[in-house]
Formats: sequence, C-alpha cells, structure tokens
Amino acid sequence: MRSDMGLIVKTTARATIPLIGIFGAYVVSHGHLTPGGGFQGGATIAGAGILFLIAFGFGEMKKRYNHHLYSVLEGFGGLVFLGAAMLGLGVAFFYNALWHEGPILNGQPGTLLSAGYLPIMNLAVGLKVFTGLISALFAIAAYRRWRE
Amino acid sequence: MMLPYLITIPLFGAFALPIVSLAGRKARELWAILVSALTLGVATEVFRTVWKSGEVMVYTLGAESPLGQGVDFPIRIVWEVDLLGAIVALMIAFIAFVAILYSTEYMRHDTGLEKYYALILLLEVGMLGIAITGDLFNFYVFLEIMSIASYALVAFRNDTWEGIEAGIKYMFAGSLASAFILLGIALLYGQYGTLTMAYLAKQIAANPTFTAKVALGLIAGGLLFKSGAVPVHMWLADAHPAAPSSISAMLSGLVIKIGGTYALARLAFSVYGMGINLRTLGWIIIFFACLTLIVGNAMAIVQTDMKRLFAFSSVGQIGYILLGIGIGLAAYGSDVGEVALAGAIYHTVNHALMKALLFLVAGAVIHQLGTKNLNELSGIARKMPVTSFAFLVGAAAIIGLPPLNGFASKWLIYESSALFNPFLAAIAVIGTAFCTAAYIRVLFTFFGRPSEKVMNAKEPGKAMLVPMMILVLAIILMGLFPWAISEKVMIPAAKMLENVGTYVSAVLGGA
Repeated sequence: MRSDMGLIVKTTARATIPLIGIFGAYVVSHGHLTPGGGFQGGATIAGAGILFLIAFGFGEMKKRYNHHLYSVLEGFGGLVFLGAAMLGLGVAFFYNALWHEGPILNGQPGTLLSAGYLPIMNLAVGLKVFTGLISALFAIAAYRRWRE
Repeated sequence: MMLPYLITIPLFGAFALPIVSLAGRKARELWAILVSALTLGVATEVFRTVWKSGEVMVYTLGAESPLGQGVDFPIRIVWEVDLLGAIVALMIAFIAFVAILYSTEYMRHDTGLEKYYALILLLEVGMLGIAITGDLFNFYVFLEIMSIASYALVAFRNDTWEGIEAGIKYMFAGSLASAFILLGIALLYGQYGTLTMAYLAKQIAANPTFTAKVALGLIAGGLLFKSGAVPVHMWLADAHPAAPSSISAMLSGLVIKIGGTYALARLAFSVYGMGINLRTLGWIIIFFACLTLIVGNAMAIVQTDMKRLFAFSSVGQIGYILLGIGIGLAAYGSDVGEVALAGAIYHTVNHALMKALLFLVAGAVIHQLGTKNLNELSGIARKMPVTSFAFLVGAAAIIGLPPLNGFASKWLIYESSALFNPFLAAIAVIGTAFCTAAYIRVLFTFFGRPSEKVMNAKEPGKAMLVPMMILVLAIILMGLFPWAISEKVMIPAAKMLENVGTYVSAVLGGA
C-alpha cells in the first residue's frame, strides 16, 4: 500500500516545509511586536509537520518522530512558561520582573529584545503547541487500522 | 503568601510529569504523590490563614494592587479566597491526595499512566483554580481545564465500550454546557465591561439589567448541568461507572460540587447577591433540588450495578446541597437561610469524603473480583472484612446515622427546610428514605451468604486499604465533633458567603 503522494507534491513539500517553518518561527518570536504569538506560530510550524506527514507518508514520519522527545519537549514548554511566570514571585505571580528590572529583554518597546518575559513565554507556548499538535496528529495517523 | 503555590505546585507537577516519567514507573508514582501531598500542605496553610483571620484573602496576578494606575476599578486577574473557598480548596487537595495514593495500586494494570497522572494533577489544578478565583473569565478557563481533564479521564480506559460511550456523552453535553457559561460571561462583559467578580457585583447592583438576568440564566443552566441536577443528570450516571474508580471518587466527590454547586453559590451570592431578587432565584434552585433529591435517590434503589447505584446516590446528595443553597438564597438574611447555607457547605465536605470512600470501596471490589454487579457479590464481608467495614462506615454516613459526619450536615438541612417550608422537609426526608433503602440493599449483599464467585477473593494491598482507612478516620473524626465544626467553620463560612459587602470591598478597597 502506498501512503505517500506523487513526485510533484513531494518536491513542492521539500521547498515549502522550510518556508512554513521559518515563517512560524518568525510569528512566534515576534509575538510581542506583530499579530500572532505562541499559539498561532506554533500551529503554523505544526502545519509544516503535517505537510511532511501527508506528503511523505506515515512510514517516513515514523522514522523521524520520537514520542519521548516530543512528550518531554511539551512538558518543557509548559515548565518554561510557568518558570517565566514565577520569576517575579517576590512581588506577585506573573509579575513581569524581566521588564521592570532586567537584565535583558527590557529594551526600547518595539525592538525585539523588549517586553520582559513575553518573548520567552511565546517561545514556550510555541514549542508546546507545536509538539502537542504533532504528537496528537501522529497518534491519530498511527491509530491501528480502519477495521479489526 | 502561600496562595499562588496552590496553583503552581500541581501545575509544575503536571508539566514535569513527562520528564519524570523517563525515570520509570516508581519515579512517576512517587512524583505524583509528592506533588499532591505538597498541595495538600499548601491548602491546609491557606485554610488555616483564612480561618484564623476571618478575612477574605485577595491575591493579584502581575502586580501588588488589583486596581489600575490612576483608576478606581480592577484591571487585573484577582484570586479571592473567603472561608468557603478555603474549605473547598482543602477538601479538593485532600481527596485528590487520597485518590492519587489509591491509584498507585489500582491503576497498575493499565497502560499510558504518565498521561493518567498528568491529567489527574490537571484536574486538581482546575478545581483549585475555580475555588480560589475572583475573576469570571479565569473561572471559565479553570472550569474548562477541569472539564477537559475529566472528559479524558472518564474515557481513560478506551479499550472498554462503556468508557468511550460515557466519555463521548459527557464531552458533547459538557461542551454545550460550557458554551452556555461562556455565552453568559460574554453577555455580562458586553453589558458591564468588566470580568472581575467583585467589581461586577457592584456594577450589577448599581444597574440591574435584563441582560444580567439572561446571563444568570445561561450560566446557572450550565452550572446545573455540571453539578448533575436532575433534568441534566444523565451524563453522570454513565460517566461515574465507566471511569476508573479513583477518578469516580474525584468526579463524584469533587468535580460535580466545585464546577457545579460551589460555582453556583459563588455566582448567586458574590456576583448577583446585591443585584437581583434572590428569593426568585432561590425558589428556582429549590425546585431543581427537590426533583434531584427524589429522582436521584429513587433511581439508586433499582440499580444492580454498584457504581451506578453510587452515581445516582451522588445525584440525590447534590439535591441536598442544592436545597441548602436554594433555601439560603430564598431566606437570605434570616437565621434559617444561614443555617441552610451552612448545612449545604457542611454537606459538600461530608459528601465528598463519604462518596470518595464508597467509590474507593467499589474500586477495591472491582479490582479484586472483576465485577460490579451486585447480584454476583453476595457475602464479600467474609473474605474482605476491611473493605466491607469501610463500606459500612461510608453507607452509614451517607444515610446520616448520628455518630458519623453525615448526620449533622443533613440535620442542618432538615431543620432549616422544616422551618422554611415543611413541604420541603418532607421531600428531603422521602429522599433519605429512598437513599436508606438503596444502601441497605447493598449492605445485605455485602453481609449475605458468600457466593461462589466471592470464595476466592482477598483483600487488596496496602496502597488501596490505607487511603480507604484515611477516609474512614476522617469521617469518624468529623462525626465526633459535628456541632463544634458547624459552629466554628461552617456557620462563619456561610456568614462570609452571605456578606457580599466584604467580598466586594476586599478587592476594591472601599472604593
């Protein structure tokens, strides 16, 4: 049974997957400056992964997907978010200590290194959304057979 | 301030679980137990602080004051814990700890346990969040965390047909109920432009509109669904038997109360307390409470499946809690209303303890014998004496026998309903009569002649017996000092809940 697509689709996918990935990374990292953010960017990057899964087939995906790695990365994304939220616990939970006191990420508003913990949280959410969506779709794609 | 740790510790535990799981099964179980024990410690500390000071504890996320710069209205998410919130937070942390301890042995034969423990910790996060939040949208988010975790946990054994069926039913109907709640919140936000409960209460009091009533109807409808009140109780009778027993204990002991009756009481008193005619709302809730009492308890009698019987009994007990809240609303400001409300709060705690115990007993029986059909289970007492003793204590407590904790809370509800309207007291007593009949039937099954199937049974291991004994101990201890607990904890909690002024001014600071 062939589960992958034809040559044109595969070649196009080779060209577009990096572009989608880069665009998604752009959306995630500029979440505090432009529309979008962790969820939108993470879902875009996951779109690249899904394109890979559909264009090259489940067999190819299986070789490159490591369940433990993705599961750990998803937990790690959540932990980074929580850690960023707890940075300013001396004042309050979710107090943006990086913005108020530095050392980094307290630049001029509008530049990339501004907005305190927001870029960190965007990256964490992006990572969590990407790994979560890929894991979920891989698990659905792997789901046994149509009938038993 | 310990309050943020109530959320961060279990959240940290859930996020770290995939990483800890790499170290193997033992590490994962120890981690879950450790995290829930720490949460229990924090919850105890929060409860002690609120109880000692008698003041509403307010915590602002992101800054020191909830008010915006230069304005006199709150712009940030606040967490607001009064005594009722502290009581239910303690109850959640306690039952969750017991359930996690129990699942280490009970769930041993299942696969995918790293997801199980992560979900059970998220369920705890969601419920604790509902208990402490003072922000309407934050409440919705935590409600969804709780609901989605419980959908997944109900369908956790996805190789059984009933798990999937119950999970789908619960998820479809539950999502619809959540959507009603979100719609209600959206209407309130559109009308008043704020989501902070305390400020919203002030706004509704100043300008009670029809929109606010529509929103109340939508939200209360959604919350009645989540609590399993009678016209919309059908998901509960399927979900509780199909879930793993440690989860049934949490669903029945906690989820239906936190996402249902607690949230309803919080909304009715703290948000709408000054803005609408509480008498009407009270009578509407009383109507559903009476239906729930009769139908839930009556349906419990005819069941042959042990967990289904307990599930319907939970519906019946929700009826008592709703009755207490309803009378508390309808007789707002009088002694009768206060006693009824205290009875409802007390019964919430008591029922959480005893229903958790009963479901853990059912889990032990299923784990050892592989069946929950009452017709096949006669004479378990000979072979599993400790489990049967735990059942005896739980059943006696739920009926309300005097030396145990169920007596005092039911007494408060009977007494206040008799003073309020004797007809309601009659309905409550009929409900208890049905409940007694249902449990006596199970009792006779347990203590009857041993059937063939039971002959080879033996007690479960320590990890399952110890949680049951903890709950038995808690029930007996609480039963020894019923009036002291009611005077010192439950009546003050009811007073604090009724006193909307302090709830509002705790956030707005007199502004």
